[in-house]
Amino acid sequence: MLHVNTYVPIYRTNKEGIMKSLIAIGATVAALTTLSATTASAQSATVTQIMERGTMLCSGHNGSYFGFVEVNDKNEWKGLDIDLCRALTTAILGDPEKAQIVPLSWAQRFPALQSGDVDVIIKATGWTMGRDTELGLQFSLPYFFGGTQIMAHGDLGITDATGLEGGTVCVEAGTTIERIVANYLQTIGVTTNNISYESAAELRSAYLANRCDAFAAWGPFLAVLRATEIDNPDAHVILNDQLSSEPIAAAMRQGDDGFVDMVNWTIASLLIAEEEGITSANVDEMVANPPNPRVARLLGVEPGMGERLGIRDTWAREMIAAVGNFGEIYDRNLGEGSPYKLERGLNNLWSHGGVLYAPILD
Amino acid sequence: MRMSYADTTQRLGLWAASFRKRGFGTPLASVISILVYGGLAYCIWLAVDWAILSAVWSAKDVARCGDTSGACWSVIDARHRLILFGLYPYEEHWRSTLACVAIIATVILSCFPAAWSAWRLAVLWVVGFATYYLLMEGSLLGLRQVTTDGWGGLALTLFLFSAVVLLGMPMGLGLALMRRSEMPVVRLFAMVLIDFIRSLPLLTTLFTAAVVLPILLPSWLEGDKIWRVIVAFALFFACYQAEVFRGAFQAIPKGQFEAGKALGLGYWSIMFRLILPQVFRHALPSTINMVVVTFKETAIVIIIGFFDVLASAKAAFGTGEWSPHYLEVYIFVAAIYWVFIFSLGQYGEYLKGRMAIAER
Repeated sequence: MLHVNTYVPIYRTNKEGIMKSLIAIGATVAALTTLSATTASAQSATVTQIMERGTMLCSGHNGSYFGFVEVNDKNEWKGLDIDLCRALTTAILGDPEKAQIVPLSWAQRFPALQSGDVDVIIKATGWTMGRDTELGLQFSLPYFFGGTQIMAHGDLGITDATGLEGGTVCVEAGTTIERIVANYLQTIGVTTNNISYESAAELRSAYLANRCDAFAAWGPFLAVLRATEIDNPDAHVILNDQLSSEPIAAAMRQGDDGFVDMVNWTIASLLIAEEEGITSANVDEMVANPPNPRVARLLGVEPGMGERLGIRDTWAREMIAAVGNFGEIYDRNLGEGSPYKLERGLNNLWSHGGVLYAPILD
Repeated sequence: MRMSYADTTQRLGLWAASFRKRGFGTPLASVISILVYGGLAYCIWLAVDWAILSAVWSAKDVARCGDTSGACWSVIDARHRLILFGLYPYEEHWRSTLACVAIIATVILSCFPAAWSAWRLAVLWVVGFATYYLLMEGSLLGLRQVTTDGWGGLALTLFLFSAVVLLGMPMGLGLALMRRSEMPVVRLFAMVLIDFIRSLPLLTTLFTAAVVLPILLPSWLEGDKIWRVIVAFALFFACYQAEVFRGAFQAIPKGQFEAGKALGLGYWSIMFRLILPQVFRHALPSTINMVVVTFKETAIVIIIGFFDVLASAKAAFGTGEWSPHYLEVYIFVAAIYWVFIFSLGQYGEYLKGRMAIAER
């Protein structure tokens, strides 16, 4: 059985309200210090600090968070968020090994960012208005979209929610998911019988005992459950419908625009690399023989990529060689190369039916 | 005194007779006994079958875990190094192992009466801690440096626990003495401090030390997170321990102080030669209790991002491959805790017996 209760929903933490005042103090102090440090140079204060230190401080977890932050058998960090940190580290310092992962709890992550214990939070963190404004954070481009989805028994032979007409959908009581499911099914004109269960564990056993036809929850969580918990994963199908969507993004301290650019263009470059078919395997060929000017610019064959961020022109090339493009990172940690086999879905490139896109590289 | 063979058989015979009389005295009692003992035996059989007979032991046989109804100890085989040493670099685990041995040896050695003098204990613990720190940190011995961020698992739990008790115990004694002082300022200070810290939850204290202090303090005063947390935890421990000591002080008749003074002894002589030996004896049961609670409470550091034995256990089953086998991991961790806490409790019993000699 999975520890459903420890699986903290990405978009909320318990202690957030209490900590707002603490963080406000931190934010003021941090703002005062960065204010004096902001200069006209192309390189941001945070990037300069990371270079002087020689290591990049990223957020880890106090345990594991399936697919995003895990520890392997060799006591090393792995996961989608860890790989993004390594990408950023390679971009700035040229070596993924210089990423130092600081274990943080959910409650601790924002104060740790404000106090400078970490340079950036890449930790399945949802972009919310409260965090953006009251907590004094700055979010990057979203790199993942996770939302409410529905899992159904495979023998029903359905692939989307319209097939649930007249069926039974189980949801966890008192969560936003309950409302989202009711809204969505009403909108698409499907009538179902919805049953609420007090706990996620109860819900799960009800579903497995065939008391409901389908089960609604956070998408990646359903995928993990399907891949690891249920004896025959093929007997269950996650429907194509995306009932809601929360953008997951990297969080930074407010007030260092240069660093925000750095993180945004790290994510953007990983996406452009995937778009252009540049992988960790063929990056050297691409450098030797760039198929178009965009690739030439991205890989630093033509100058300009590094200067604007105040770092090396070849940073994207080194980064892709070290961790691969976004598609490779995804497949390794959540997709086909992982135990979870999570479909790309929304997290595919815009050109493949997803919502991930990069700004224009000019 | 060793029991003779005849004694043993006689005792067993008595025990069996009483069992027969109580359990099978009437027909109803017999029926109930058979049901209860049968049920108990069945439960034990289920547990043994699950944990041993049907269990899968090796990480290589993990594929068989899906078929068996027993435990899948493969997860422990594959992940025990993560549970014991957390994020410590894999190739350097011998250092973590030795460091654990050093701390455990220090604890065991200081349990022997031969070590019970102030300077012997001091030397022992300084050597023990230095060995631990040098091995774990590494740079001073010319080994690869591992910062405290990388420490974890059982090694970290043991370190936190022994550092907290070691710092907290003298602090607690000091606070208890201050609390009994005849100088009003000193007494008031101790009183306010103890009551203030005791009115805060441990979690808040640790969170403040780990997360809020670096925002407020200048960076040269910050120090390493692990030391801030240890000092805060030790202060918390000390405030409770001070109250334990205070209770023990109050158990000593006032006449003894007066007798000491009448003999012309100074404050410190009265304390060290007359009062404290009795205080320790009175405080012993509650102190063992405090120490055991503290050992278990170290698990709370998970919330400030330390990879203690419980956090690394969570990481151990927190991947797609191992997540179905969390029960085995929790049982393994529970067994680790049990070994340490049971030993602490048994040692407390031994001490009580030993100190009771003075009462006779």
